[in-house]
Amino acid sequence: MTAMKRVLILCLRSAKGAMWRGGALTVLVLLAGVGLLSLSGWFIAAAAAAGLAGAGLTFDVFKPSAGVRALALGRTAARYGERLLTHDATLKALVAVRLRLLRGLMAQPLRRLERARAGAALNRMISDVDALDGVTSRLFLPAIAGAITLILASLGLLWLIGAPVAGWIALVYGGGALAIGRRFGPKALPAARRAERAIQAVRARANDAFAAREDLTVYNALDAQAAQIHRAGFALGRARDRRDSVERVAQFWVTIAVQSAVAGALFIGFWQVSQGTLSTPLATTGVLAALALSEVLMPLARGISEFGRIADSARRVMDDIPEETAPLAERGKTGPVVVPPLDLRGVAITPLIDTLSLTVERGEMALLSGPSGVGKSTVLNVIAGLLPADRGSVCIGGTPVDQYSDEDLRGNLGYLPQRAALIDGTVLDSLRLGNPDLSEDEAWQILEAVQLSGFATSRDGLKTRVGSRGSALSGGERRRVALGRLIAGRPAVLLMDEPTEGLDEATATAVLHGIRTYLPTSAILIASHRDCDRALADRTITLR
Amino acid sequence: MSIPDTPKQIAAPRDRRAELALLVGSFAWLGQAAAIASVVARGTAGTLDAAFVAISAALVLGLGLCRAGLERWASGRLTDLAERHVSSLRRAIIDGELTRRPLAAPAALSSLVSEKLEMLRPAILRFGPARLRAMVVPLALLIVAFTQSWAAGAILLVAGPLIPVFSALVGMAAQQASARQLDQMSTLGTLLSERVGALVDIRLLGAERAVLRDFEGATNDLRARTMAVLRIAFLTSTALELFAALGVAMMAVYVGFSLLGQIEFGTYGAPLNVWSGVFLLLIAPEYFAPLRDMSAAWHDRAAALAVADEVIAWRDAEVPAVLGRGAEAAEIDGPAAVRLMDVTLRLGDQSISYPDAEVAAGQALAISGPSGSGKSTLLAALAGLMPAEAGVIEVAGRSLTAATATGWRQRIGWMPQSPHFMKASVLANLKLARPDADVAAVNNALQAAGILLQIHRLPHGINETLGENGAGLSGGEARRVTLARALLAGADVLLVDEPTADLDAETAAAVRSTLLGLRDEGVLLVIATHDPALVAACDLSIAPKPRGTSA
Repeated sequence: MTAMKRVLILCLRSAKGAMWRGGALTVLVLLAGVGLLSLSGWFIAAAAAAGLAGAGLTFDVFKPSAGVRALALGRTAARYGERLLTHDATLKALVAVRLRLLRGLMAQPLRRLERARAGAALNRMISDVDALDGVTSRLFLPAIAGAITLILASLGLLWLIGAPVAGWIALVYGGGALAIGRRFGPKALPAARRAERAIQAVRARANDAFAAREDLTVYNALDAQAAQIHRAGFALGRARDRRDSVERVAQFWVTIAVQSAVAGALFIGFWQVSQGTLSTPLATTGVLAALALSEVLMPLARGISEFGRIADSARRVMDDIPEETAPLAERGKTGPVVVPPLDLRGVAITPLIDTLSLTVERGEMALLSGPSGVGKSTVLNVIAGLLPADRGSVCIGGTPVDQYSDEDLRGNLGYLPQRAALIDGTVLDSLRLGNPDLSEDEAWQILEAVQLSGFATSRDGLKTRVGSRGSALSGGERRRVALGRLIAGRPAVLLMDEPTEGLDEATATAVLHGIRTYLPTSAILIASHRDCDRALADRTITLR
Repeated sequence: MSIPDTPKQIAAPRDRRAELALLVGSFAWLGQAAAIASVVARGTAGTLDAAFVAISAALVLGLGLCRAGLERWASGRLTDLAERHVSSLRRAIIDGELTRRPLAAPAALSSLVSEKLEMLRPAILRFGPARLRAMVVPLALLIVAFTQSWAAGAILLVAGPLIPVFSALVGMAAQQASARQLDQMSTLGTLLSERVGALVDIRLLGAERAVLRDFEGATNDLRARTMAVLRIAFLTSTALELFAALGVAMMAVYVGFSLLGQIEFGTYGAPLNVWSGVFLLLIAPEYFAPLRDMSAAWHDRAAALAVADEVIAWRDAEVPAVLGRGAEAAEIDGPAAVRLMDVTLRLGDQSISYPDAEVAAGQALAISGPSGSGKSTLLAALAGLMPAEAGVIEVAGRSLTAATATGWRQRIGWMPQSPHFMKASVLANLKLARPDADVAAVNNALQAAGILLQIHRLPHGINETLGENGAGLSGGEARRVTLARALLAGADVLLVDEPTADLDAETAAAVRSTLLGLRDEGVLLVIATHDPALVAACDLSIAPKPRGTSA
């Protein structure tokens, strides 16, 4: 269960203060509840005894009735504080887990990320992180606060009414909770895992069928695919049934424990009364304390069921987060200044490229061309370090790229992949991703270079929002923002894969021209099959 | 299988027997309280013997076990009900959706039929029983309290003022809080997934620190705003807590003072006795418990209603249905031919009309025009994937209707505009068109589509599993795989959408000659394209004409 432990530690660390105070208030709420009922029971029974004995006028009514009122108000206030603090702590923990995940993913080798991007693995992970919410609010806090309350209440009862009743209550509640947890906790995990897998199967198959429904219809394969989804749905139903039945049976035993505690406290306490070894008010206190302590066990059954779900998610999420990650270095601040040329010697990439040698000098723009599928993008990926080469060397300024540190390389080698992703924010925010110190003047120069200054002026200038994943922009505008972001860091070597895709010829030409003017000394290598790009290149290298 | 009418029926179908069993279980407490009160009363009077204690404790335990048993039985029934309900909804939505034209992105709907429908279960399990208990139990306990003492009844009445109003208030607050939390979760999810999606770009730009800093700032902002709302939302539910605690406290004080003889009102004649006093104190907490349960279940209820609204939005969407079903049916015979007569099709909110045209086996019809003008829509209609708004489409000499569509589709090879690959090998995806195809036939089709080499260069060759949009291949290559599949179908009618888009000049020429070669062998071609060379090579060319929009 190390994944669970790591999530828990991460959550506890992220909001230590709120977590402890919230936990303390939870204990206070529970204890006030026990106190309120027990004191009320004692007060009534004692008042009855005094009334019968004719001592009603000498009975001290002030302390008990004031205590009852104080506990009632105190419980309410503590409840409010507890809810605020635990929610705040949970939210802080959510942020912390997500930050850690993002940070952990950033430390992954670039090649692994590139592979993961294609799959649904990342989206899956995001929904798993959402499932971790309950670690503190549903599992940790109720368990710890419940245990503390039970111990304190048992000690109080031991002092007030003696070992038999206190021992019975502690045994039934403490032992019962442990036994139920040990019996059903281990069952919850596989049940949750199976249910989760079944949900993913239904989703994946339904998604497949919905997306391909026209193909399936035309090729008369719709019914077969529908039957496949329904099979997954059936498996999901069975898995859910198992999960629910674990919770149901656990709840059954919780109820049994509560009823046994109350009946037992009644029997033991009043048997002592009948023997003359305990007073009626104290025996009544025991019964009502047993009743009130049932609140401690109430979150148990649902907690067990949630535990399975959370532990399953925790395992998958924490698998992707390394325990230790090296601190991120500030880019471009240290290290050698990298200068062109970009130099490829005898690079081979099976099965696409037998051997490829080329040099792109300072201030030169070379173009890789060739029919689609010949390996243009692959070559750029190899230079950028996203793919390994089988043979040969890639050097920048005479130094092999794999000898640069990641930070030095990223600061000096700009790469625009075929599908570049934008992040919501303003145009200026987007450009500053490429260079955190970019001034507004420089930003306008860049927009000028990529032919976006007119667009920006017609909207909100540098404050124009790009929208989630660039959704507020057209395809061509997105491409140009990505280009602007790329050249903002003034890389010495610039690689661009289909840089002008989605732009009309006039704009494409102006954009490439603008980039060359903005980066007069960089070595530029682009992959493209557009004639307008070729016309602007100093040299064309055709892959066969 | 149909979908219930109202959001409430979708959100939480009810099981009266289970609800009743749970209600009866709650009333076990009245018997238990009476037994406990008897023991205390005898203890106070000094007339208690061990046998009476044992009998009473056994009664308390027995009633408690009955309650536990009833709860277990009822929740078993409710689980079954939830399973039947959710799976029948899932089936209805999946079967319905598969025979409709695609409207929204498939991801939204596949999440509806997987995890969102599952969110109905907690509401079915908890909300129905909690509501019945909240309606009956407090009222019954109030009446019982009044039979003992009108003052005790009045305390409960005051502490739980206007219970329906009260629970509605709590419900609203809980709903607001949970909506807020869901909202916060989804915003947080969006922020995260956007950054995770752009991780490679972030790494390539070296922008890790800036992105982490921004993310932390944005999420902390979100947290602060959420807490501001929760602070108010929790106040309302704290009121319930306050009334419950004060109700118990006031009851204890009233009973205590009465028993001491310091209060002499509130009963009907005789002063309050010990039994009544203890009994009243014991039922006081139970008077508030159902309300608390219901406010806890309200969260589940709100989530279920949100899902129900989505189901209804899906059900009521106006979407054209596929003609016929995708099941096997006898092929319709007669020579291949396609004829359009005054055909109008619906594309979004506009109507598009098409010139009359007629092509026979061995001919090619080009549908040209700017993108978005309705070329692909006509191909879909020709495959019977949507009905014509007006006019008649004739295929193989018959009108294309639900009765003839399935048989007609047996003769069609189809290349869609954007490729989608099922999560299976390239080979399995190809064999969709002809399940009994052998290796030679598959390779021939790949060769004819000019994609054989690229497929065999994949890490696992033809057994490679591609991403759903063809990740692993370039866009043009992925499209040619669907062309290969259409060719593999061995059909005498080919409907192809933009076969030469995204291709370099050389490959485009090869694809053109493959298609035209098939025509010369007697295949009927319908091609949506804006490739001038391809349009010129066709026997006939038509262009869609928009006919204005309507609501």
